[in-house]
Amino acid sequence: MATMMRTLFQRGALKTLAVIAGALFLLTSCKVMGKDGLILMTDRDYKAEVFATNKAGFGAPDGLRWRDGKLYLADEGAQALQVWSADGGMKTLMDRQFGPQSPEDLVVDAVGNVFFSDDDAGGVWEVDSNGKQSLLAGKDKGLYSTEGIALAPDGSIVVGDTDSHQVFKVTRTGDVSVFLGREFGITKPESMTYDDQGNLYIADNEDDVLYLLDSNRQLHRAIDRKDGFSPETLFFFRGTLYITDSRSGKLYLLTPNEELKPIATFGGQLRNIQGVTVDEKGDIYVSVQADLKHNVGYIIKITKEQ
Amino acid sequence: MISSLAVFVFLAELTSQLTNLNDQILLRINGMAGRSWLFDSLVGLTQENDLLKAGLIGCCFFAAWYSGKTTDETRAGRKVLLVTLVAAVCVLTTTKVISKSVFLPRPAIESQKIYHLSDDKLVEMKRTNVRVPLDEESQKVHRALVSGDVDNNDLGSFPSDHAGFFLTISLGIFLAYRRIGAIALGWTLFVILAGKMIQGAHAPVDILAGGVVALAELSAIRLVTKNRFDRVLDAITGWTIKHAALSSALLFAIVFEISSTLFHVRQALSLLAAARHHLLG
Repeated sequence: MATMMRTLFQRGALKTLAVIAGALFLLTSCKVMGKDGLILMTDRDYKAEVFATNKAGFGAPDGLRWRDGKLYLADEGAQALQVWSADGGMKTLMDRQFGPQSPEDLVVDAVGNVFFSDDDAGGVWEVDSNGKQSLLAGKDKGLYSTEGIALAPDGSIVVGDTDSHQVFKVTRTGDVSVFLGREFGITKPESMTYDDQGNLYIADNEDDVLYLLDSNRQLHRAIDRKDGFSPETLFFFRGTLYITDSRSGKLYLLTPNEELKPIATFGGQLRNIQGVTVDEKGDIYVSVQADLKHNVGYIIKITKEQ
Repeated sequence: MISSLAVFVFLAELTSQLTNLNDQILLRINGMAGRSWLFDSLVGLTQENDLLKAGLIGCCFFAAWYSGKTTDETRAGRKVLLVTLVAAVCVLTTTKVISKSVFLPRPAIESQKIYHLSDDKLVEMKRTNVRVPLDEESQKVHRALVSGDVDNNDLGSFPSDHAGFFLTISLGIFLAYRRIGAIALGWTLFVILAGKMIQGAHAPVDILAGGVVALAELSAIRLVTKNRFDRVLDAITGWTIKHAALSSALLFAIVFEISSTLFHVRQALSLLAAARHHLLG
């Protein structure tokens, strides 16, 4: 041992190190990778794939919505509302030249009118099915920093505002009224969605609470500060609530009378998951803001294995 | 052209063989886990208990510091140990920097169904069937992993900073005083680092890489200080002999902090950064 150490430090140290370093390089070269993004499937029945990257023409999307074979994106990084389809590719429906600065979340109604929120420019923005762009209601009506947005059963738009800590109702003609005032105690209504019973789920990712507003306008804390849970985006589809948590990088499913179930954990540069939506086949799409500053994003598709 | 192709094929084959070897060694060592609660708890204790992990190496360091029989012997030994402390800090920094830029999850993480982003595609990683130790802490960590709680620190296990740090210190002690160094090296290799592999926290390649960083940096820093800073070291060691009480107190603080892998210094720096953020915006 002593002889080996002496030899190493006095004579052949450099050669020995070079040999070991070379061996290490070979040993690790097949596993070492440049981009440190990963998805751990907590539910092994699911598999993950990259659905689209920046090469498709988007930046760093936040809100997502699948509708009739089209994927709509509230692209926060590119400051635009975009739509993707298999035959038409990526198209921009509205960009910053019209006014939006940081598209956050979106909804699409039955005839293809798109409404989205913007946490920098505020307001509720609309691109109708003919492509006509408009600001449905802006800061002048008290919508300073809009976040979560949902389509109410009566056809109106429900939107959350972070600055005023309230939820507003916006009619199709642009009239704004308070839907849930400050007395309800919601700090940051980051995302909202209605279920098939007319209940409204509200994600507050500042207080880390998932609220449920029932049809009698009673507000319940469905999940209250549980084990680091911080809901970012909600999407309801066929009896299941899909939830992303950008703080822990988790994608959850919540079904009635069952525990919150994580199905995937995103790590490394894929950790910052944002929007979630589901297509007609039940495949899940999740948007990832890998680097919002440099406009790097991904859309990940998660499907159940056959 | 043909020779390049031959070299490429050879390298690919060698890589595959070495990867298999790495996996086989890991599975053989990790195979000791999950069979006996007592054994796993003892291994866990050496990994979690600072007295058993860093404390023993710190004791060896202090023993080496005071082991010289003559003043000249003491001076020579202390010079080596001082250089070792500097090298240990450099090694820790190097291993942390490398682990942040190289994606190689802990073997325990690789036992799960994981997709890795490679060239804008998600590729399912080969699963390593590591055994889970039966002790309480390991079971808790495993349950958290199964429910999707992955610490970002667990995604970059290459190279092992424990291997780099403890091997640097142990090698330094060995170079100063062989008998004490042999104890430190033995404890590092057969208890601390073997425990990491038994628990599935590190693969042999992580340990080997940490060892290479330790060897390389300790050698380089020894060479540089010998050629350029020998007088400075002479002055410092002379001071430690002249002011034995004060230097012992200082050494205790330094060894304590370095043995804690600079945890408390990093904690203080984080506080400073947070204070700066709050005060200056």
